[in-house]
Amino acid sequence: MAAPLPFSESELRLLHVLLKRKVRFMVVGLSAATLQGAPVVTQDVDLWFENLGEPRMSQALQEIGAAYVPPSNFNPPMLAGTGAELFDIVLRMDGLGTFADEIKNCVEISLGRQKLKVLSLERILASKIAANRAKDKLTIPVLRDALATTKTVKRRGKKK
Amino acid sequence: MKQRAQISNPAKAKGWARRLTMRVGKVLAAHPQADPDNVRHTLILLEQPPLERLQRSLIRGRATAILRK
Repeated sequence: MAAPLPFSESELRLLHVLLKRKVRFMVVGLSAATLQGAPVVTQDVDLWFENLGEPRMSQALQEIGAAYVPPSNFNPPMLAGTGAELFDIVLRMDGLGTFADEIKNCVEISLGRQKLKVLSLERILASKIAANRAKDKLTIPVLRDALATTKTVKRRGKKK
Repeated sequence: MKQRAQISNPAKAKGWARRLTMRVGKVLAAHPQADPDNVRHTLILLEQPPLERLQRSLIRGRATAILRK
């Protein structure tokens, strides 16, 4: 039996529509780290969009009946609507360059026929070190060890 | 890294554990400061497809959040 996907049908639809409409975004944070093998836990999937105001973004959200809710006093920016609850919006990443710079540091993960851009483990670690919040301090050693492990595995794979 | 098929045979399971221990040792030889548990868990996760890794992480993350409430 095939492994179940982490996304519900509506969450998958949201990602597919964003990709189909060529909205520029990437998965960041601990969900991106876990996709690359880091043994960390997370409750949501952080998405970093290049331009939240771009028409393709609103068209994509409209297509699936979701909406972008700008930040207010107590709430961060968010996506609202069925299938959007899992995703958090990230406006900036501590210690990293611009979206255009960082998209070059992405790995691609297959999502059906489409490819999801995922920020590299190395850059996630850099952002956690720069942010240095209490919760980041707990994950930094794990991310560092996961990066060392993946690098060693890749090096050994190349030697073979 | 090769993705691991389900192991349901004790001899094969032991063989897998032995190979895992060896691989942990090789990573630690290159990175002596790394925590062996982190290395072992990463190696195990690397045997899973990426979306399955995320699935596990989300399930555990949500369970932890529920327990905290």
